[in-house]
Amino acid sequence: MMFSFTLYKREMKKSILTLVIFGALMTLYVSVIIGMFDPALMGSLDEWADIMPELMAAVGMSAGATTLIGFMSSYLYGFILLVIPMVFTILRANALVAKYVDSGAMVALTAAPVKRGAIAFTQMKALVTGIIALVAYAATVELICASKFPGELVVGDLLVLNLGLLCLQLFIGGICFFASCLFNETKHSIAVGAGVPALMFILKMLSNTGEAAKKAKYFTFFTLFNPDGIIAGKASAIAGMIALFAGACALFIAAVTVFSKKDLHI
Amino acid sequence: MSVIEINNLTRDYGGERGVFALSFKVEQGEAFGFLGPNGAGKTTTIRHLMGFIRSQQGSVMISGKDCWRDSASIQKILGYIPGEISFFEDMTGTEFIRFCAKYCGLRGEGRTKEMLDRFELRPKGKIKKMSKGMKQKIGIVTAFMHNPEILLLDEPTSGLDPLMQNRFIELVQEEKKAGKTILMSSHMFEEVERTCDRIGIIRAGKLAALDSTEALREKHLRSYTVTLADEKTAAAFAGDFAGKPEGTRVTVSAKQTLEEIFLNYYGGDQ
Repeated sequence: MMFSFTLYKREMKKSILTLVIFGALMTLYVSVIIGMFDPALMGSLDEWADIMPELMAAVGMSAGATTLIGFMSSYLYGFILLVIPMVFTILRANALVAKYVDSGAMVALTAAPVKRGAIAFTQMKALVTGIIALVAYAATVELICASKFPGELVVGDLLVLNLGLLCLQLFIGGICFFASCLFNETKHSIAVGAGVPALMFILKMLSNTGEAAKKAKYFTFFTLFNPDGIIAGKASAIAGMIALFAGACALFIAAVTVFSKKDLHI
Repeated sequence: MSVIEINNLTRDYGGERGVFALSFKVEQGEAFGFLGPNGAGKTTTIRHLMGFIRSQQGSVMISGKDCWRDSASIQKILGYIPGEISFFEDMTGTEFIRFCAKYCGLRGEGRTKEMLDRFELRPKGKIKKMSKGMKQKIGIVTAFMHNPEILLLDEPTSGLDPLMQNRFIELVQEEKKAGKTILMSSHMFEEVERTCDRIGIIRAGKLAALDSTEALREKHLRSYTVTLADEKTAAAFAGDFAGKPEGTRVTVSAKQTLEEIFLNYYGGDQ
């Protein structure tokens, strides 16, 4: 058997509190931001963008979005919807494997007629379930909030945009989970699993700030997620999504393999 | 075919730590004592048997199956008490025991209740708050609950009080009578002496001695017969030193400590 439902249930129970907190946080941000959308007066946020363009650009907010989806793309998909699922992933990925190995509790899981591959696969599924739940929840909240502006939003666009976000978050999940499976100590797992995505994110913010730092975008995988390009249906943006998804699959396969083959000094 | 077969196992951690060209077998229905000081390689050997680590050289087999490749199928008939107990701290003892039963695919409770009663364990509280002895007892429950045919016990009595240590030894004796194959590691001669048919002594990753318990006991038990002034003194002497009185003569025996036994094997030069 390649999957343990008993273990999956335990891990989902452990995820639920974090999911609820992060879900509430997203509800707050998404509803406030969408509430600020005013098609007639693209006012308040653009004023901020005029006052301090560098800071607003760094967090992905640029002035001049005239459609609701363009507005959301610039004010939600540049920072908040990237960061919240990412933090969830970093916390849970480490706790799902590396923490058990570090504390020795992994003994209880490996000293049982369950294959190592099945353990890692179950933990991966628990992580992926959480990521999907957060992104799906974000999309739902967006749809509900956007219903205040009838006719402003093409639902299909929003779903594709969130599919893109999901690919990005799965890729981050792949990095964190691979680190968790590779390292035997929590400190190393967190250093790589949190360090790599955080560094990439900083590079992304840097590349937004101006011409001089623009080259930084070639050094971060966040560039593969291009919200405006996805809405516009650009082939390069769709290719970026596919690349992120393929990368996520490769990382998850590598993680399960490395955990199955490594020595466990527990 | 032996149930446990370790053949020329080598795992070098550097700095003379690890196990080196280790070979021994445990037969069906036999209790094998695995003795050695801390850091001698007992746990490393058991980790190989559990399929946690892969051997650098040699082979490790249980019931004819490779311990690394077929570890999941071997686990069905195996009970294991780890040398260092660490469970899911967030669970209560009851939750953890139930989790283990379900996770291992055990239908019903198995021997859980019998084990809880035997060790007077009420595992209601959080594992995080439990004493070492309580955790050890939970480890015993989860190792025995599916009534396994093979038992790998890594210093199973550590943390238990003398009364519970005794109960555990009785349990092992019963299991042996029931035909189970047992490998039990310890750093105390007395413990394995009471339960095991054969004893292997490991030091610095190498097998220093492998003999029947009987033979080792004879080698390392020294008896003295002393004659005392009168029977009353003899009886008191026998009482104080656990000797056998016979008129004014009392026979007392001194067990060597493990280190002294090692000195015997190494001629005192190590």
